[in-house]
Amino acid sequence: MVRHVHSLLLALLLASAAMANEHAGHGGPAKGDYAKVWLEKQQKAPRLAVAAAFDEAGRLWLARVIGEQLWVSRSDDAGQSFSPAVAVNRKNELISADGEARPQIAVVGRRVYVSWTQALPQPFAGHIRFAVSEDGGQSFAEPLTVNDDTKPITHRFNAMLADAAGVTLAWIDKRDGAGNPAYTGAAIYTARSTDGGRSFAANRKLADHSCECCRIGLAADGDGTPLVFWRHVFGANVRDFALARLGQPLRRVSEDGWEIDACPHHGGAIAVDAKGGRHLAWFTGAEKSPGLHYRRLDGELMTPPLPFGNLDAQAGHPAIVADGSRIHLVWREFDGRHTQIRAMTSADRGERWSAPATLAQTAGAADDPLLLRGPDAVWLVWNTAADGLQRQRLQP
Amino acid sequence: MSRSLTRCARLGALALAAALLAALPARAEVRPFVAGSLAAIEAGRSGKPFIAAFWSADCTHCPGELKALGELSRRYPALDIVLIATDSPAAAPLLARLAESYGLGRQEQWVFADQQSERLRFEIDRRWYGELPRSYFYDRQHRRQGRSGIVPAGQLETWAAEHVK
Repeated sequence: MVRHVHSLLLALLLASAAMANEHAGHGGPAKGDYAKVWLEKQQKAPRLAVAAAFDEAGRLWLARVIGEQLWVSRSDDAGQSFSPAVAVNRKNELISADGEARPQIAVVGRRVYVSWTQALPQPFAGHIRFAVSEDGGQSFAEPLTVNDDTKPITHRFNAMLADAAGVTLAWIDKRDGAGNPAYTGAAIYTARSTDGGRSFAANRKLADHSCECCRIGLAADGDGTPLVFWRHVFGANVRDFALARLGQPLRRVSEDGWEIDACPHHGGAIAVDAKGGRHLAWFTGAEKSPGLHYRRLDGELMTPPLPFGNLDAQAGHPAIVADGSRIHLVWREFDGRHTQIRAMTSADRGERWSAPATLAQTAGAADDPLLLRGPDAVWLVWNTAADGLQRQRLQP
Repeated sequence: MSRSLTRCARLGALALAAALLAALPARAEVRPFVAGSLAAIEAGRSGKPFIAAFWSADCTHCPGELKALGELSRRYPALDIVLIATDSPAAAPLLARLAESYGLGRQEQWVFADQQSERLRFEIDRRWYGELPRSYFYDRQHRRQGRSGIVPAGQLETWAAEHVK
């Protein structure tokens, strides 16, 4: 009995010492703990999210995060082999490259533009970063922080669009809600460079009350003006999608009515066809119509939302490309063992669609699919943990 | 003499042990949630209602939900809540502390222990896309209702009043 008591006592003393140790220095645990978990997640994230783009000459450019640096390489054979990677940021920083938070790359002539979100130690905080190479990707200028509010709050989910006229960045920004708990969601901010990425004009707010953690879709309208497609917070808490041309008021483009106090981490995709039709793909969790949807906008006309993807296979994270009147749509599904990239195509601007087909699959963790316009065809580029960077020329 | 000393020491040790036991949270363990864990959670509660609450330490809306659940469990001491965090096992000590700060330290706790969270989600609910908070309300027959986002306090109260005796 004495021995039992002693061993019990010893165990309890050890346990309480361990507990005390664990509790040391934590008056109010919650806030500090959130910051710790946030930072640890940023540090240990798999960083599978890559950026890729073809240039006018048909070379494939790739930006990926390794450690605390963004690396850019180029392939002259559509991804079979890549040039030695060049580091963009010489000074290390935490770079978000997971799921909805992804680096971006665009190539215009000899200029290679990259943007990313630098994750800060404070929960949900980041800076929108940008760098340009003026020598065809051999070296990069010192990165810029594009958000002109530099408080350690949300400036995240960078999206980028570039052409000969300039570079546009769009991101999710919480500056208007800082210290104002009554402010719903975040805001969409943009900045534009017209000197080849050497500097950016002042940040401009496109819209108040965006959802906080979904990637932004960007596409060039017929005249080159960026179109921005994002998950918005309508009314008190309905998280459906909005579309706006840069500098113009938003238009609601989905009426799913997804009322939710949560972060869906699930943005949409947009493509513009030669006739100016806007092709949208998005996800909703609304009970009446859950899952992925597609619709086309022609001026004021909107086609009814077309559901696609297998609801029982977590169908999500779509990408869309318009190639003349042909529309390509891809998304990811999980069948219990494999993550798959599923695809369907329309030859008539989204009126009729092919049956969904599986383009690729992997057994491990995977990035979301990218659809790229190449010089001769549309390509799927998909980064996977087990099978590396997959790429596939889609049937025209 | 030596006998009474031993006895005295024994009583003292017991008193100390009791005091230490009272000072410790009832459940500090955060178990690794892997394939099959949900079935184990359900099997251990056969015929009993409970709430399975999925959350994460870096989800904006989760503190609101967990505070509401903590408050509910204060008013319904028999309420059985299973907390399942979608973080990683390395975060277990922090998760335990957070749960305690919401008044949920006595509830069973788990944390995702699989690099591929879609594999776990596929088993939990094929139609759950990972949005948080996500709660499942199990009735006695283990028919369950899933719900994403913060559940309004009134609905929590109604459910508890009906299911927790």
